[in-house]
Amino acid sequence: MRLRRIAAFSRRALLQFRHDRRTLAFVLIMPLLMILIFGYTFGGDVKDIAIEVVDYDIGIQAGTSPVLPNGLFLAQKVIDNFDTDVFSMHTNTNSRNARQIVHEGKAWAAIIFPANFTENFLSTIKTQDMSFSPKIEIYIDASNPTIAAAVIKEATQSVQIILKELSASLNISQIEMPIAIEQVYAYGGGNTRFIDYFAPGVISFAIMMVTTMITIILFVNERRNGTLQRLLVSPASESEIVVGYALAFAVIGIIQSIVVLIAAILLFDISIVGNIFLALIVILLLAFGHQGLGILLSAGAKNELQAIQFIPLILFPSILLAGLFWPIESIPSYLQPLSYIIPLRYGIDAERSIMLRGWGIGEIWVDIIVLVLFALLTLSVSVLLLKRRN
Amino acid sequence: MKVRGIIQKQVQCPACNTILICSGNPGEIVKVTCPSCGTLGKVTFEQTFDTPTKIVEIQSVTKTFGKFTAVDTLDLTIYTGEIYGLLGPNGSGKTTAIKLLCDLLRPNEGTIKILGEPLPCKSIMNQVGYMPQDAAIYLDNTVHENLFFFGGIYGMTKENLEKKEQEMLEFVNLQDWSDSLVSTLSGGMKHRLSLACALIHEPNLVFLDEPTVGVDPELRATFWGYFESLVKKGITVIITTHYMDEADHCSRVGLLRQGRLIADGRPRDLKKSVGVDSLEEAFLLLAGQEKS
Repeated sequence: MRLRRIAAFSRRALLQFRHDRRTLAFVLIMPLLMILIFGYTFGGDVKDIAIEVVDYDIGIQAGTSPVLPNGLFLAQKVIDNFDTDVFSMHTNTNSRNARQIVHEGKAWAAIIFPANFTENFLSTIKTQDMSFSPKIEIYIDASNPTIAAAVIKEATQSVQIILKELSASLNISQIEMPIAIEQVYAYGGGNTRFIDYFAPGVISFAIMMVTTMITIILFVNERRNGTLQRLLVSPASESEIVVGYALAFAVIGIIQSIVVLIAAILLFDISIVGNIFLALIVILLLAFGHQGLGILLSAGAKNELQAIQFIPLILFPSILLAGLFWPIESIPSYLQPLSYIIPLRYGIDAERSIMLRGWGIGEIWVDIIVLVLFALLTLSVSVLLLKRRN
Repeated sequence: MKVRGIIQKQVQCPACNTILICSGNPGEIVKVTCPSCGTLGKVTFEQTFDTPTKIVEIQSVTKTFGKFTAVDTLDLTIYTGEIYGLLGPNGSGKTTAIKLLCDLLRPNEGTIKILGEPLPCKSIMNQVGYMPQDAAIYLDNTVHENLFFFGGIYGMTKENLEKKEQEMLEFVNLQDWSDSLVSTLSGGMKHRLSLACALIHEPNLVFLDEPTVGVDPELRATFWGYFESLVKKGITVIITTHYMDEADHCSRVGLLRQGRLIADGRPRDLKKSVGVDSLEEAFLLLAGQEKS
């Protein structure tokens, strides 16, 4: 081994970066970006969960009970104790309406306190008979097990804190949870597992990554090999080229999804309650849109090495901000608006709504429209890009 | 009325039966030497009153990239049935000129007409064949798949494609490689396939951008044989090259230097005009004259 030769290799490799500023920026900025994004988004607590609160509790007026001479509105006390960072609460006066809002996916849960909530609490204390124990109904969308668990945890904690306070003020030994929390599932159910929640996201994510990356590499090669020039000299229009490739990727996307779905069903017994064909249409739209994105990004890469540099650019925002692993509600609120510009968010949301909630087009139309617009935009701009002549 | 325009004529050597392609003006008598046996002869080009068809018309075309002028006020007319060679050193504007003709680039000034239609015009593109400098074929597909793909985008039917595929494979001598992956072929084979892909749809006009760059002398000779046989079929060939010795195969050549057309005519006329024996010398003299 000659040190001079080794130094020559190292020197040449380092000098290369001087001429390829983009790669240099990639090498320096990307790790910084990664630590920032991960640090701010990874594994945070779930926050701002949309909740409907229905308080029918008539309470106990002051002077009506010797046990509670100052009166008590227990439901209000529990509600006041909810962590406003965790719950984004909306007060509703009608339980049916509140359940409907959850059913429509506009809130994750409706917490309903009955009219005799405080009264039953008092009866339980007096009689020590648990059959009187007041019930809180939580009508919950459990299609996202992380959020469902966070709702139940917050409600339970709040009740326990209030009970502890009351036990101290009433000078009685703390009764063993005299308040029952009854969970009624709008979607999912107590047996919804993380894999059920995870599978639709993974399918959407896989389609996005594969379609985007293959398209970038394919078009970089088309440009570099000169085949694209050849196609542009042919009578084939630019839109025919784009649509032709889009259809090919759609077929690949569909096959890929079917394989992933079959594997998920056979190996992990995932539950799919919705229309599988609608789920595949969403996959198609995701594939179309990301194929267009791939063509656009390919214009910025001269070779495969530069194409690979796009991976983290697509990968990290999608993993971190689109709700793939953890709910968007767990991302810091100032980063949450960014998730709206990530098309994968709408794909994952639509797939989960179809597969876990059993929703149809009537419920996921917003996601569908966003994905259609994204596909139309990227594919149209791709056509214009191919039409561009210097 | 004497009509300007090159006529091409196919003649047979009386001594060895070699077929020669000769070009000349209407009414002109041209002395010919058979390259095979050296027999001298004369070919008479009959006076004609038919106007030769203009297949390419370039008028005052300028193309700049920033401050760099790649093609400078180019005026050129090419007629049906010619092998027209755009000659010049590297960076003289040959590829830019071909790309302008193929509508891959748009001129800053001037107009271009191809097959009588001003560019851009997609509808004439099914009569145009284009072979870029690189092989520009799909390496992960077979020879057959490439030919079918390129034929398919020109709207050829399956029956027509099957017939033409065989013809093209024989033409470029790849009939035994139809099912081979292109990535497994040699460089020369890839070039031959690339030519077949440019011709499968039977174009009337073929643009060949430096098709012989990086090609060994044997394949270069084969290629020129192909190009001459295309002209026999009535196809007009426009070719760029920086190999001056190749220009003798052309019926007419245009010499480009720094984006300007410094000379245009039959190779022998250009040589004769400056009194030299080779086009290389002619180019250097003409370039010197233009500089001064």
